[in-house]
Amino acid sequence: MKSGGNMMIALKDMKKLTTVSVIACCAVFVCSLFMNYQWDLASVEDQIVNEAGRMMFEAQIASGKVTIGVTGGCLVITSLIMLVFYIKSYIDTHGKELGILKALGYRNIQIAKHFWIFACSVCAGCGLGYAAAYFYMPTFYEIQNVEQLLPKLSVNFYPLSALYLILVPTLLFALIAIAYATLKLKHPVLDLLKNRRTGKSYRSRKENSACSFLHDLRKSTLRTKKTLVFFVAFSAFCFASMVQMSISMMDLASEEMGMMILNIGLILAFVTLLLSLSTVVKGNMKTIAMMRSFGYSDASCTKAILGGYRIFTIIGFAIGTLYQYALLKFMVSVVFANMENIPFFCSASVFYHNDHFYRCL
Amino acid sequence: MKIQAVNIHKAYGSRHKTEVLKDVSLTISKGSYTVILGASGSGKSTLLNVLFGLERCDSGSVLYDSTDITKMNDSALTAFRKEHIGFIFQQYYLLENMNVEKNVRMGADLVQNKQYHEIIEAVGLKDKLKQYPSELSGGEQQQVSIARALAKNPHVLFLDEPTGALDEQCGRQILDLDYIMRLHQERHFTILMVTHNQNIAETADTVIRMNSGRITEMIENAHPKSAYEIGW
Ligand SMILES: Nc1ncnc2c1ncn2[C@@H]1O[C@H](COP(=O)(O)OP(=O)(O)O)[C@@H](O)[C@H]1O
Ligand SMILES: [Mg+2]
Repeated sequence: MKSGGNMMIALKDMKKLTTVSVIACCAVFVCSLFMNYQWDLASVEDQIVNEAGRMMFEAQIASGKVTIGVTGGCLVITSLIMLVFYIKSYIDTHGKELGILKALGYRNIQIAKHFWIFACSVCAGCGLGYAAAYFYMPTFYEIQNVEQLLPKLSVNFYPLSALYLILVPTLLFALIAIAYATLKLKHPVLDLLKNRRTGKSYRSRKENSACSFLHDLRKSTLRTKKTLVFFVAFSAFCFASMVQMSISMMDLASEEMGMMILNIGLILAFVTLLLSLSTVVKGNMKTIAMMRSFGYSDASCTKAILGGYRIFTIIGFAIGTLYQYALLKFMVSVVFANMENIPFFCSASVFYHNDHFYRCL
Repeated sequence: MKIQAVNIHKAYGSRHKTEVLKDVSLTISKGSYTVILGASGSGKSTLLNVLFGLERCDSGSVLYDSTDITKMNDSALTAFRKEHIGFIFQQYYLLENMNVEKNVRMGADLVQNKQYHEIIEAVGLKDKLKQYPSELSGGEQQQVSIARALAKNPHVLFLDEPTGALDEQCGRQILDLDYIMRLHQERHFTILMVTHNQNIAETADTVIRMNSGRITEMIENAHPKSAYEIGW
């Protein structure tokens, strides 16, 4: 039987999910590149005979771990939270539709199960990133081994990585989306229908009549859209940490790799920022439209709606920069803790460069 | 189905409780067309929502034949609505990103009704099949909502100010839908409508008057008028 629920998320909405795909794609691209390289490298360990090759091997394994740890840690956490929030805000803004279906008599699970469609965009993104990684891999392997110190590596396909990088995220996000929708559907039908909030009152308690309307509006936008505030702060956090990551990777890895990660980092950072900005504007669309029709200028609308978020953006930036710096320090100290015998590794932040390494020898 | 409400109480708010329904009891016989008439804010919508299980009352019971829906849990209530209830609200509640046909199918699919095209035609939306709610007038949107409700083959049809947002001409058209009335006579389903418009009440065979949360009067109307005979 075709139930009404599957028509709920029309293709029109799917277009908005491309940002979700982009994030997933970038994260998976980097992760699968390094994961595959690590595994291929590990499989030729016993073929390495000379001392220089041995050191190169250890250094690369270690640097690979840092890269996976830093980029992976950054990208995975970022995309996880971004996607969860996107799904949450999507379902929250579609409460009315859920209410209509439920009022008609559709069962909760009948409605919620259709949200697996979010997983489609995750799956598409992951698949694309995964495929792109395999395309790029031969080049990548060559770059990693320009000095010919390691035995010639061939690209092997590991089915397990497809499981980790495509299947697991897809299922995870399908489950998250369905679970959140089910949770949302537990609200009374009438509250869903009327977009009413349950729980605590969200109206401003001490209405200060001395404050102007615009001032109050700015405060109440923040108060009523707490998750959006978090989202904005978080995207600033992401932006800062991506940029920080990209720059530190320039020092850490080879130039090509640094450039690649810088590019990916910047793409992600901007996508994140775009996503949060459009979510803010969309979340306050009605207010903006109403104000404009009353004759408030664009500038004062923007100031009233967006102005309140500024401080949270700054906080997000600061925490993001700190977080990424700490993560890098941590990874480097953990991975290299038992590798004192590598002579050229001196400073924690600048660790090795292919040319540099060559000269050291 | 015979509907019976017994001693319904409902209050809103946690600190300053406002009693919206104060000990309401009523009986609606199977196949009747009843109008609940009352001023704005008298608790009509609340009563209607309690009657078909969209909202829970604080005390009292609502019986359909002998089933008490106030004792049901959420999923049983949903299943009950699926089986028996059709509703039409003043705010059409259509899915904006779906066209007319899909919106009607939303009701039809629920009970595997394949004859929904007949209903779309009967409410007069045959040439608007592929249009979206935002492209329709208020009256047409309400027609979609009516088609959706009827496509479910309900045993009881609830209408909450269905003409509240419409002008006179559209309003009469909605009320005059002889398809509803024909179906009403054929299938003998029960109609319960809420309105604040005295004139509309003249179309019903039973009128229940409400005033600040209480039922004040119940009148049998021997000669119901048609939608074009009443004033507006
Ligand atoms: N969710 C709610 N919270 C608080 N008060 C409510 C709520 N819904 C309705 N009311 C109050 O209940 C009263 C009756 O509302 P309603 O049943 O909608 O009246 P009617 O449909 O007759 O106009 C109104 O005074 C309204 O203020
Ligand atoms: Mg009402």
